[in-house]
Amino acid sequence: MPRVAYEDASLTVWQGADALQFIDGLSSNKIIDMVQGEVRQTVFTTTQAKIVDLATVFHMGGFLAVQTHTSQLGMLLKHVTPRILDQEVTIVDVTSRNQFCIEFGINNANVGKFESLDGITHGYIDEKYSLLIASLDVESDHIDDLESFHEWRIENQIPWNGFEVTRTNHPLAVGLNQLVHQAKGCYIGQEVLARMISRGRQGKKLTRVENGTIDDKYVTTLGQNYSLAIIRESN
Amino acid sequence: MLMDCGTCETSGPVQLMTPEVVNVNLTISSKAQEMLVDAFGDDRSMALLVGVLSGGCSGYMYDLQIVEDTDQSCQEVTIDGFRVLVPNASSHLLDGIEIDYVDRLMGGGFKINNPNADSSCGCGESFS
Repeated sequence: MPRVAYEDASLTVWQGADALQFIDGLSSNKIIDMVQGEVRQTVFTTTQAKIVDLATVFHMGGFLAVQTHTSQLGMLLKHVTPRILDQEVTIVDVTSRNQFCIEFGINNANVGKFESLDGITHGYIDEKYSLLIASLDVESDHIDDLESFHEWRIENQIPWNGFEVTRTNHPLAVGLNQLVHQAKGCYIGQEVLARMISRGRQGKKLTRVENGTIDDKYVTTLGQNYSLAIIRESN
Repeated sequence: MLMDCGTCETSGPVQLMTPEVVNVNLTISSKAQEMLVDAFGDDRSMALLVGVLSGGCSGYMYDLQIVEDTDQSCQEVTIDGFRVLVPNASSHLLDGIEIDYVDRLMGGGFKINNPNADSSCGCGESFS
């Protein structure tokens, strides 16, 4: 299966008795019930429900390994660390010790789980793709054909960091609806997202469009024939 | 080697933003004092812990507890005989607050009026 390097990935380790609850209270998906061996994505959002970063949380037992993005890590830490207060949470950046890639065009049966294969941690975060993480001493084959990866993303309407998943959008607008838990209770940005869902109006929506049929300013990932675009629902 | 979590070695934690501890001034409205008298009775050994937790719709949530003591590093303020404990870690968020009591069937109870809060969520328990 094709693999592509995930250059913008970062990895932090969150330790302490309150780590799981801490992330749960600051992000859109339900994390608090995770157990060892599970992987789950969630979105840190601002009070206006704008995306701070998309996180993939690996429950490692005694700690959480959280894959986010190098380009957003500074802002994410600025967002979360003042809120630690008296809670038992420490965060360690281990990005430089690891390599990351995406395996795509697959059919995952164990979505929500992770396992180690050939020295590589495979996180089955979606039916159609996996996040692979390994230490630097592991030989990991991957292609550098980003173009085919993005064509695949367009075909499957998979939003990606820096393209659709940006600080100007909210999770619903970029097609991350499955990461907005509707019954978990309060988290930052919850009121705004809950209102959008209850009213059935989310403003913008991720859409696959044929090139030339829409103004370029709405296009977020440009493909050969089709592109991804975030457009207003009324458009 | 699998994902290298750096937990076996000495990877230093990221720099945390630790706000300065401030000496908290707070007030308790007369209505809230009446309710505290009801809650405490004549026993002044118990204290009202006014803390802040992360989370809620706006980022921080108030946490009011009646405690005898706490493991948290706190500063103690005595107002009209009532012991009030404020954790140092959240002192910057609580300086200048008024503890009030709102008497109504829905959404009633102790309320915090906080001059440091830019916004609050609908239920009033969360602020930023």
